[in-house]
Amino acid sequence: MKDFQPIADRPAPVQTVGPVAWIRENLFSSIGNSIVTLGIIAFLVYYIPPILDWAFFSANWSGTTEDACVKDGACWVFINAWSYQFFYGTYPLEEVWRINLMIVLLLIVIAMSFTLPKHYRMKASIAAWLALPLIGMAVLYGGWGGLEVVSTDLWGGFTLNVFMAAASIIVAFPFSFLWALGRRSQMPFIRSVSVIFIEFFRGVPVLSLFFMGSVMLPLFFAEGTNVDKLIRVWLVLIFFMSGYMAEVFRGGFAAVPSGQYEAADSVGLSYWQKILLIILPQVIKISMPNILATFVMLFKNTTFLLIIGIPEVVQTLQTALSNSYWLGGHALEGYLFVFLVFWASCFGMSVLSRRIERTMNTDKRD
Amino acid sequence: MFKQKTLEEVKASARRSSGNSSAAFYNNPNVRAIFYQILLVFGLGYFFYSIISNVLANMEATGIKTGFSFLGASAGYDVLMTLISFESTDTYGKIFIVGFLNTLLVSAIGIFFATILGFIFGVAAFSHNLLIRKAALVYVEIFRNIPLLLQVFFWYFAVLSALPGARQSLSLGETIFLNVRGLYLPKMVGGDLFWLAEAALGVAIVGIFVLRRWAKKRQDETGQQFPVLNASIAMVIGLPLLALIVTGFPFEMEYPALKGFNYFGGITVIPELMALAIALSVYTGAFIAEAVRAGVQAIPHGQTEAARSIGLKEKKIMQLIIVPQAMRVIVPLLNSEYQSLVKNSTLAAAIGYPDLFNVFVGTALNQTGQAIETIFMTIIVYFVVNMVISFLMNRFNNAVALVSR
Repeated sequence: MKDFQPIADRPAPVQTVGPVAWIRENLFSSIGNSIVTLGIIAFLVYYIPPILDWAFFSANWSGTTEDACVKDGACWVFINAWSYQFFYGTYPLEEVWRINLMIVLLLIVIAMSFTLPKHYRMKASIAAWLALPLIGMAVLYGGWGGLEVVSTDLWGGFTLNVFMAAASIIVAFPFSFLWALGRRSQMPFIRSVSVIFIEFFRGVPVLSLFFMGSVMLPLFFAEGTNVDKLIRVWLVLIFFMSGYMAEVFRGGFAAVPSGQYEAADSVGLSYWQKILLIILPQVIKISMPNILATFVMLFKNTTFLLIIGIPEVVQTLQTALSNSYWLGGHALEGYLFVFLVFWASCFGMSVLSRRIERTMNTDKRD
Repeated sequence: MFKQKTLEEVKASARRSSGNSSAAFYNNPNVRAIFYQILLVFGLGYFFYSIISNVLANMEATGIKTGFSFLGASAGYDVLMTLISFESTDTYGKIFIVGFLNTLLVSAIGIFFATILGFIFGVAAFSHNLLIRKAALVYVEIFRNIPLLLQVFFWYFAVLSALPGARQSLSLGETIFLNVRGLYLPKMVGGDLFWLAEAALGVAIVGIFVLRRWAKKRQDETGQQFPVLNASIAMVIGLPLLALIVTGFPFEMEYPALKGFNYFGGITVIPELMALAIALSVYTGAFIAEAVRAGVQAIPHGQTEAARSIGLKEKKIMQLIIVPQAMRVIVPLLNSEYQSLVKNSTLAAAIGYPDLFNVFVGTALNQTGQAIETIFMTIIVYFVVNMVISFLMNRFNNAVALVSR
């Protein structure tokens, strides 16, 4: 009889918690993964320091002219010198408080729509939103109560992008709501008109709409009427936006449970009472993330205004780059700056939209 | 808005409506519907009437011609890049076709690379490697949130114009050259019997469809699987190669060569096309990556676990369980991304790539002044292209859609 031979102890299980296990799991789980990890780290180590050096350590920060850029790094002086034009275009310096006032008003209205007491929040904020574009036009253009007229040729820069996008989506809001209702309507003619309108403005390139606004629309007005180019483009943007937003709202209408429609009918509400009091609040809540996404798209598309010669921020940048006092080739700094401004706004809005989606999600109360 | 009614009032109103079965005719929903629609007809009719009469009056006043006769007139300007032969004495009608082909070219290139980029980064979001996951996230969040126009400018003015000149070209094995004036690729020039190889390629493509149908039928009947993908690749490469060997390679390669200040011969890809195609692919790729991520995420984890528990290999799980289900979410999103890529290709106007929009709404409109005709002709083309894309993607969608029994 052989001696009893116990099997050798099994090794202790690989540690599955703690930083070492985390690194093994996420970075070095296989040979292929390890190679990729090392490759990416090497890439970062190789490229990050020169970029940081260019952008920060050997960059030129202070000064007002190109001669101040003596070091090898980025010439942020360029951005500094042109920052007024980048933000306000050629709007006169002594009148710039009007733009700032409108930005503050915009922020106040945004804050209002989230913080007012609930029993009149909806009504007050809708009224404020709809009044905002009109107030904006009046304040920015001037010509009343001692305000000097500032011709729209002088408007420009990043604030023009913001205001064009905001003014278009606000005015498009009620229209798109009607188009969406029209598309859901039982009346065949109204429905087909809505479908044609929505599909037309969703189907054509936005650039061709801008061309329509700048060269075709003047032909549509009666002889002698001279509508400002910016207003024409604004009109076109409103149409464009209401096509897109109508589809957003249509999704919202479809997402409201049919029980809500039936319940509203059974308590005897009229069609408009049903839509405005019962359905619309739910539709807005459901569509909020998509509305923001559509706004981000519109906001990015306002850069296309450059092609019809409206001095929005990219156009201002091109002008600055070809200025004879700044011919040192600052394209990289300029583009990076405009990139950052747009990226921060768009990314901020997409983060906001995710947060709204979470807070507005009141359906699952558990 | 709602006044509290007493019981008596409610009863009285109920009695009134039940006693009087025919309510006032203007409260009949059908009558109202007809009334509103007639109102809309008149409203729209007046709207279009006033627009058209204004347009006619304005055109008369400014002396702009109407009609499409300008299409037969000589254009008198040259186009930077043409796929078919074109001279400046050719007509506006031909310019329209040249622009249309250029639009199709940049859209096709963009769709091809955007799909590849999108799927790579979309799947990378589920990698086991943290750094790859983060890289995918960074790609999507950066390129989705920067306006496309800026990206086009970035590639054109900052990257491609920083390339070296013709004499210091970057080259790959002395066959492909890249410099500030463009990308130069070798070209295959076919000889006498070259059509045989082309015909073989055609046969191979038809053969793939036949093979797929046969393999599916056999699997349905016997359960045996056939390596369709490998066989298809072998056919596409093998048959033309066989034809070439049999006919003794009846073609020669035309390599770009430096003559004077630039490269000649081969295929030249102008920097405008490169910048636009890169920007469109990278931008749309970010959106497609989001779509792919959403599609894969929409599949419950139980599907993977169930597939593992019946003993499928990881590769087969992806191929048979995850991808077919994810495609249901991805394909409709792809459809709209492709359509917006085609629409966004109009940004060619910003850097001067001669696409349809640029040569027609840009230059032809300027020269003839016929805004309405040129803009509508162009818009219709984009509509048609998008309808074709939508049709094809819907066909594809029906193929992957859930068949409910």
